[in-house]
Amino acid sequence: MVELVVNGKPLSVDAEVDKPLLWVLREDLGLLGPKYGCGIAQCGACRVLVDGKSTPSCMTPVGSIAGASVVTVEGLAQPAGMLSVVQQAWIDEQVPQCGFCQPGFIVATTALLEATPRPTDAEIDEAITNICRCGTYPRIRRAIHRAADMLAER
Amino acid sequence: MARFLSRRGFLITGAALGGTALVAAVGGVGYLATVDVDGLHGHLDGERAALNAFLVIQSDGRVVVNVPRTEMGQGIHTGLAMVVAEELDIPFDDRITVEFPTEAHPAYSVWFNMLQIRPEEASGPVVWVGRRVLGQLGFIATGASGSTMGMWHPMRVAGASARHMLLAAAAARLDVPAAELATADGFIRHVSSGQRLSYGELAREAALLPPPDRPALKPVSEWRIIGRSQPRVDLPAKVRGEPVFGMDIALPDMVHAAIRHAPVFGAKVGRVVNEAEVLAAPGVRDVAVIEGQKVAVVAASWWQAEQAAWLLEIEWTKTDADGVSSTEMSARLGSALASTTPYEHVDEGDTGSVIANASTVVEADYTVPFLPHACMEPINATVFVRDDLTAEAWVSSQSPMAVRQGVARGAGLAGVEPTSVTCNITMNGGAFGRRSDQDVVAEAAFLAARHRGRPVKLIWSREEDIARGLFRSHAAARMRAALGPDGLPVAYDALVATQSVIDSVASRNLPVNPGPDGDRISVEGLDKLHYAVPNRRIRSQHVPSHMPIHFWRSNGFSFNTFFTESFIDECALAAKADPLAYRRALLRDSPRHLAVLNRVAELAKWGTPMAPGRGRGIAIEECYRSVVAQVAEVTVAADGEVRVDRVFCAIDAGLVINPDAVIAQMEGGISFGVTTALMSAISLDAGAVVESNFHDFPMQRLANAPAIEVAIVDSGLPPGGAGEPGIVPVAGAIANAIHAATGRRIRSLPLAVTETVDERRTRTVLPPVPT
Repeated sequence: MVELVVNGKPLSVDAEVDKPLLWVLREDLGLLGPKYGCGIAQCGACRVLVDGKSTPSCMTPVGSIAGASVVTVEGLAQPAGMLSVVQQAWIDEQVPQCGFCQPGFIVATTALLEATPRPTDAEIDEAITNICRCGTYPRIRRAIHRAADMLAER
Repeated sequence: MARFLSRRGFLITGAALGGTALVAAVGGVGYLATVDVDGLHGHLDGERAALNAFLVIQSDGRVVVNVPRTEMGQGIHTGLAMVVAEELDIPFDDRITVEFPTEAHPAYSVWFNMLQIRPEEASGPVVWVGRRVLGQLGFIATGASGSTMGMWHPMRVAGASARHMLLAAAAARLDVPAAELATADGFIRHVSSGQRLSYGELAREAALLPPPDRPALKPVSEWRIIGRSQPRVDLPAKVRGEPVFGMDIALPDMVHAAIRHAPVFGAKVGRVVNEAEVLAAPGVRDVAVIEGQKVAVVAASWWQAEQAAWLLEIEWTKTDADGVSSTEMSARLGSALASTTPYEHVDEGDTGSVIANASTVVEADYTVPFLPHACMEPINATVFVRDDLTAEAWVSSQSPMAVRQGVARGAGLAGVEPTSVTCNITMNGGAFGRRSDQDVVAEAAFLAARHRGRPVKLIWSREEDIARGLFRSHAAARMRAALGPDGLPVAYDALVATQSVIDSVASRNLPVNPGPDGDRISVEGLDKLHYAVPNRRIRSQHVPSHMPIHFWRSNGFSFNTFFTESFIDECALAAKADPLAYRRALLRDSPRHLAVLNRVAELAKWGTPMAPGRGRGIAIEECYRSVVAQVAEVTVAADGEVRVDRVFCAIDAGLVINPDAVIAQMEGGISFGVTTALMSAISLDAGAVVESNFHDFPMQRLANAPAIEVAIVDSGLPPGGAGEPGIVPVAGAIANAIHAATGRRIRSLPLAVTETVDERRTRTVLPPVPT
């Protein structure tokens, strides 16, 4: 049994401690937003926030984060359903194409803006290393800046 | 009949001939007359009022648009729903939802692509018979950048037809002439009395009325939706992380499967050495050999299945390809370029002797490697075979027809018929041609037949996808041109050596194989018919190998346009001409192309000075009934690091339904093309693919993504394609830009070597100058 707080809810998971967090989320908890894309922490489609830090869940054994707070893309929107600022920026810039990788980008961006509210392009390049095969990069960059602007206006 | 079919059409036709529907199709003209090819008749389906095959209006006025084309990121669900909304005269807002219909209605078929005709221009007895036969056989697929050009008109008519049926229903209800009624925002208003009825109130009555014979279409001047960028209907669910992909399917009692394919294609499973050990692993229920060629593990969860699959020790049989390396493959391409018996596709004038007698001849050889598709959503399928032998499939597929055939192939021995398969097409996490194959569906169906009564979800690991799946062929070209006194080519001779995709697809999937000769896909982008050259010869030589080759975003254009647009630059150099001016001269008789070329030159400020180490390159192509031109700007550092800083793109895709979607497709195609041009290669050692995941098959990331500027050129023509054109000129433009920056002509892809910076970052560096 591993104790976790997932999207604000405390729960305990009956999974082997070496099972990656990604598969615990997808298979044991039915949270299908985090995606399997490579399994080796290269593509970032599986990224979730672990205690606020953007983390590739495919290489994170669930036993290694016992007690942690995990936020998936499903946990970013307000309880009433309103999109988070980052999600809204993604809509405003019409970022996704196929959309499979985007939960990972949205999570990574959420963490980036928490730590660096007005990132430069260089800081974005440094922090956001996810892969998008559809090539939505120009819009991702615009959406990150837009989200930063929206947060600054709050 | 066959000569009217495209090669791809022939393939699909062949597929269906292998099925059971031919008998039904040849039942005579009388029977064919009953086929509902337009899908304009309505019906009631419980609470849903279907006004035709393309749209349902609910009692609350919400509209469901049936889009029988796969959404794989290109925005087709939005574009075709826009067309319906325009004609139905409703606002394009969240009262519209889009579904991929499970029914295989004849009106959904891709007959227009296969007959290579636009629906709005379709007439004549051959078309009449062809579309009925093809419609009846359930040819539904998404690809070849053909969905807008094929579906926009039929769905426009469907929207207009439904609106007229609603007007007729309102006229009857209010007992007034239909001419006194007006539609707006989902309501019908009687102008003089002010009485108002909603579409929702009228839908059930309207659905039972006969469709109008030729409904009047909204004049272009009154369009308020078509041609104006609209937000994509699928994005809210995607940014929320909702489970919309095939991989996200979750069903009661579902079991999960992982799979291992042969490292060398064509090898068979000799023996699973440690079956008992794998069966004893946690959660494992089954170890199954499929078609003698692959081994699957079925378990309670995918994590358990994949873990157990890593344990598998499999003895594979020896094959003729066991010793094949990349060097051997390159040698095969080289000897194919010396072929004395290539297939001749075009022979205009007297190319051979003009070149033999010319004083200035430009010659160059080019090559490109094998490539995987690497869709972000790994390959997967979920299949459920019930005890009564009906089946249901949930697949992120480009084709419900391929899904039905795949289920029949995998579960056919157990007694499942294609006609008893319910097919659910989910969102695709990228497709790029890959998801038109039936391979994973057949595998999942085989397992589902063994585990009847439980849905089976099979997911390929990323390693299986990169190394053991399907590939774009490698290719080489030998290009020759004779230049006249003005420096322009008077003869153009192009020979491509590549493995025919048609031959490979047919040999894997069809009972009939048209063979590699004359495969048009091999020479797409090679003929450059828009360039004015009096003598022209276009040839191809099929180079067989053990590698399974498949459709891949832009197919032959993905390599031939790199060859041809690099080569035209080499001709310009030999003629001491500016590459833009040279192309302008070659396009003197092609105003459509010239307009696109000039637009991109203007956008890129062609001719303005650039700093040392920087360069600009240009390329143009006509493909998928669109014309696309690009200018790439590169910087090459002193240490050889090459960066693509900016790419400018002009596209004439004819009538554009959703401009922002076309811009997005250009951006995406360019990104895909930059990755391909600079980074991507599959290599072989001892017959097996060496690369296996994103650590050794690198992909572009944000840090090395260029800025992109796109201009849409309006030629007033009907819609062309947008999904593939964006990738087509990129590699040529970059190679030309590198030459402009450095004076180095690199003739093989990838143009650079990828170096690792840290765990997830790379840089691309020009290869050392060969000594």
